[in-house]
Amino acid sequence: MDCAFMLWLFAVSVVASAFGGMHGMASGIFIVPILTMFGHIEIHTAIGASIVSVIACSCGGAAPFLENGMTNVRLAIVLETATTMGALTGVLLVGIVPSSYLYSLFTVILFLSARQMLARRRDPAFAYVPAVTNNWLDSSYPDQELGRDVSYRVHRVPLGMMLMYGAGLISALLGIGSGVLKIPAMDAAMRLPIKVSSATSNFMIGVTAAASAGAYFMRGNITTAVAGPVALGSVLGAIVGARMLLIVSNDRLRLLFVIVLLALGLQMLLTVFGVQPL
Amino acid sequence: MNRTSPLEQSLAALLRYGSWLASAAIGLGFALALIDSRVGTRNLAILPSMRIASMGIVLFILLPSLRVLLMLLVFIREGDFRFAAAAGLVLVIISLSVIFVL
Repeated sequence: MDCAFMLWLFAVSVVASAFGGMHGMASGIFIVPILTMFGHIEIHTAIGASIVSVIACSCGGAAPFLENGMTNVRLAIVLETATTMGALTGVLLVGIVPSSYLYSLFTVILFLSARQMLARRRDPAFAYVPAVTNNWLDSSYPDQELGRDVSYRVHRVPLGMMLMYGAGLISALLGIGSGVLKIPAMDAAMRLPIKVSSATSNFMIGVTAAASAGAYFMRGNITTAVAGPVALGSVLGAIVGARMLLIVSNDRLRLLFVIVLLALGLQMLLTVFGVQPL
Repeated sequence: MNRTSPLEQSLAALLRYGSWLASAAIGLGFALALIDSRVGTRNLAILPSMRIASMGIVLFILLPSLRVLLMLLVFIREGDFRFAAAAGLVLVIISLSVIFVL
């Protein structure tokens, strides 16, 4: 593996992570298709590299949300029992699922993510509750725009946990953050405010990914020469993406994002049928 | 406005400094490998300095488990046993995923 290839890995990871970060997505959804189709890296090695970058972005980005009181750490640890259980199932399946199935599943996730990106996220009609509640998972967060604490109630935890199990499973199989399942779980099922949902989801992604990263590492799928540049590039890209989010118009980017997701989905689909587009 | 608890402050510190340390190790490992490669091999993957980068990757993989461990200890100290049990269960599941592939 030469120096030029590692620099290429670093560069594409910076771009993928900055681009994904502008839409609150981890870079994994772009990294695996790019590494397999353009870098011609074996899919399990690509997933291994991606899962490390997912952890790096989650851990690297968590501190500001925690310090601002956006992350519901108690809800996170309860939901993580479901995501890690899903990841454990994924770890057991990954050795027996053929690569073509992984490409097919990735295609479905790319198309679903494109569809989800077209539908704007709105704050769900979450119930404002008094500051003191009896529910052990309810909490509050400081809303800078309103200038006060907003209390919220956590709804339908069992349904949320079922979706989180699926998110953990997909994360372990494909090496992604599984935003495509976490967003409906947090917004639609549990009706969390978007700021809490984004912060808590980002916080959880690292632990979910760690549950499968250990297994990928033990299997020898995490090679430093690939995972190192990808992780470092993703962390840098996430910082750049967060900055760019403040200065770039979101609507045109959203459309570009959908087009890229569809193009990658199409290429993955062609790979399933043995057509090597590039 | 609500002030974050010591738990959230400690978690933020652990994740922030842990990520910096892991990223620095990966960056340093690659920088040394690049310098080494100018005098010898073109294959960076086999250079000894890549071990430093590997340690950075291992730290990233362990960091989420360390933060669950920190949560477990804080919940036990606060007598919040429901959440301590959840944190303990998460650690067991993560350990099982590694044990199953051995």
